Amino acid sequence: MKQKRKDLTQWMSLPALILYGVFFVYPLIKGVGMSLTDWDGMGKANFVGFTNFARFFQDARAMGDIRTTLIFAAGSALLLNLVGLGYAFLMEKPFPGRGLARVIVYLPAIISPLIMGYIWYFLLQPGRGFLYHAARQLGLEFFLGNWMSSYPTTMAVLILVNVWQYAGMTMIIYLAGLKSISSDIREAALMDGANGWQRFTLVTLPLLMPSIRINVVTNIIGSLSVFDIIMALTEGGPGYSTESLSIYIMRMCYGSRTGYSTAVAMILFLIILIPVLISLRLTRGKEQPL
Amino acid sequence: MKRIFAWVLVLVLCLTTCLAVAETKVSFFTGKIETIDLLNEIIDGFNAANPGIVVEQEYQNDASSIIKVKFASGEVPDVMTTYEQEFVDQGKYKDLSEMNEWWDRLIPSMRESCTDLKTGKQYRVCTNMTMAGFFYNKEIFSKLGLTPATTWDEFVQNLNVIHEKMPDVVPWFIFGKEAWHLGHLIEFIPHGYLKQSLGALESKTAMLNNDSAELNFGAADGCMAVFAQNLLDLQAKGLINEDVLTATSDNCVEAFVTGKTAMFSNGMWALSGILEANPDMADKIGFAPYPAYMPDSKPVVLCAEDSGYSISATTENVNAAEAFLSYLFNAENQKKYAEALGSPSAFVDVDAEWAPKAFADEVNAVLNNAVNIGFTNEKPAGFSGDDAGRMVQDLLAGTYDVQSFAQAYEKAWNEGF
Repeated sequence: MKQKRKDLTQWMSLPALILYGVFFVYPLIKGVGMSLTDWDGMGKANFVGFTNFARFFQDARAMGDIRTTLIFAAGSALLLNLVGLGYAFLMEKPFPGRGLARVIVYLPAIISPLIMGYIWYFLLQPGRGFLYHAARQLGLEFFLGNWMSSYPTTMAVLILVNVWQYAGMTMIIYLAGLKSISSDIREAALMDGANGWQRFTLVTLPLLMPSIRINVVTNIIGSLSVFDIIMALTEGGPGYSTESLSIYIMRMCYGSRTGYSTAVAMILFLIILIPVLISLRLTRGKEQPL
Repeated sequence: MKRIFAWVLVLVLCLTTCLAVAETKVSFFTGKIETIDLLNEIIDGFNAANPGIVVEQEYQNDASSIIKVKFASGEVPDVMTTYEQEFVDQGKYKDLSEMNEWWDRLIPSMRESCTDLKTGKQYRVCTNMTMAGFFYNKEIFSKLGLTPATTWDEFVQNLNVIHEKMPDVVPWFIFGKEAWHLGHLIEFIPHGYLKQSLGALESKTAMLNNDSAELNFGAADGCMAVFAQNLLDLQAKGLINEDVLTATSDNCVEAFVTGKTAMFSNGMWALSGILEANPDMADKIGFAPYPAYMPDSKPVVLCAEDSGYSISATTENVNAAEAFLSYLFNAENQKKYAEALGSPSAFVDVDAEWAPKAFADEVNAVLNNAVNIGFTNEKPAGFSGDDAGRMVQDLLAGTYDVQSFAQAYEKAWNEGF
């Protein structure tokens, strides 16, 4: 009877394995093969070896896109975690309207990033946007410029919009992490004479490591594969200055360079994998048992 | 009783299946948002008049990209409005050269525009003409005593007068967030110069063969460098909008209909949007050519084919597709189409009121007095108009100086081949 149940349990994993094989393993193998061809999406594909990969590193636009993607990811991941953690500490303590405040902070995360991008585009438009008029009324002259006409300011806008949208999501994970820390441990530290900074760095932070790991990994993955917000706010412009690798892949694919775009997708996969593995490695040893 | 019922059910199912099999479905793929409703109306009329054929329209915003996916996946529409030289080269379209019932009704120059330079055959039928130039506010021009410019010096002079006398009005509005618009400026101004100086056929041949001696894009005093210098001068003098890099076409229309800008460059497709935003503008819209900006050049205006229809080379529904296009091309439907689109018909037997009369007269006068140029269909597949527009964005953002812009353009063009 026990053996039969074991057999049945093994078979029950089959649908999941089939789905995994069809939607992940097969496309991955097919993609690797495609990345070694000059396929234009329609005609015959010819094997070109690693030419696509070599060409990628010779393309100035692609190198610019890597820079943009990395700056965006680094800025976003850092700020998302700082802001999310700050929000979590604020929202952990009881105060009137705390539930509503949590909802307000989390709300942007449930709106499509594409729509969010358009909303911010209209808010920031020089001479027309709400923020422009508000700044003029308040006499904030420095705010009246065109924030999306040069690379540094456009990147800052993109990162801040991304942080504004997803800080609530990061906050929720940190809140769950803070909830799971026993109050006894914090009280014991307090009784031992630890000050606020010591309690944060020596007690709270190590116990928050699982939440930090989840947040850092998901933020890095999300930020390195950014697409929607940039498309809505700048379409990768001016020129191709704020184009991300995901947008580059899409444009190359629709530009009849399907083989090449698949090679870039493989490179992006590795670019995402490396920091994720590093962050997992760095945070693993710092975890403390509750 | 149960058995009889079961047999009746099987019979009904068989009949339904047979009817469904007998029905010929013609898929029609388009990227033209402005004519969706009218085409649905025309399609309904065709479907009603042709039992057994059902035409279904599919609209995609990014049609020129989506069609590549359709070609790749083998789900090729029977009839489509998307047309690219690379698809012609790959034999994706059916040869329509023998469809004399259509060609006999078409303006000869439009048939020429529909002709593939490499094979001399026609793989699409264009039902309309479109023009592009400067739309200007006649009221502002008349108030300031200005007349449309024919040379670049006159053009700058006009912009200066507007800037000085009406500081709140943007002399020339460029909606540069939309890269295609900046790409069009290259298409109509420097490419326009090449087309007029080399000649229509010779410029097409030079572009098709990438004849760098004729095109000369990277030259310090060439058409691209002078264009870039002129644009930067206007930007430095405040004669174009400050938000040139973030402004959209909606912003432009809004500024134009509220009198906040004196002129902008665009094609006839912009007309319906202007009149929808402010019907009172009907008598205030003027139309001017692109002024001559190189030594010994003349003003140019785009007069090109519009609304092209092709049939897939692999369709199994050739007769049904041709029947649908014949129905769509009849004079009555084309009159409605031209009026809805705001573009004159390319058929000689269609008399449509495609624009307010005063405006249409002005467009006709420009067509008679300026060099008529077409779109560049021979540009390299790897360097789109959008790519060119993004280079202009970089120019206006300060990434390029004049010379590096011209050289970068030449490099991108060559690499596109």
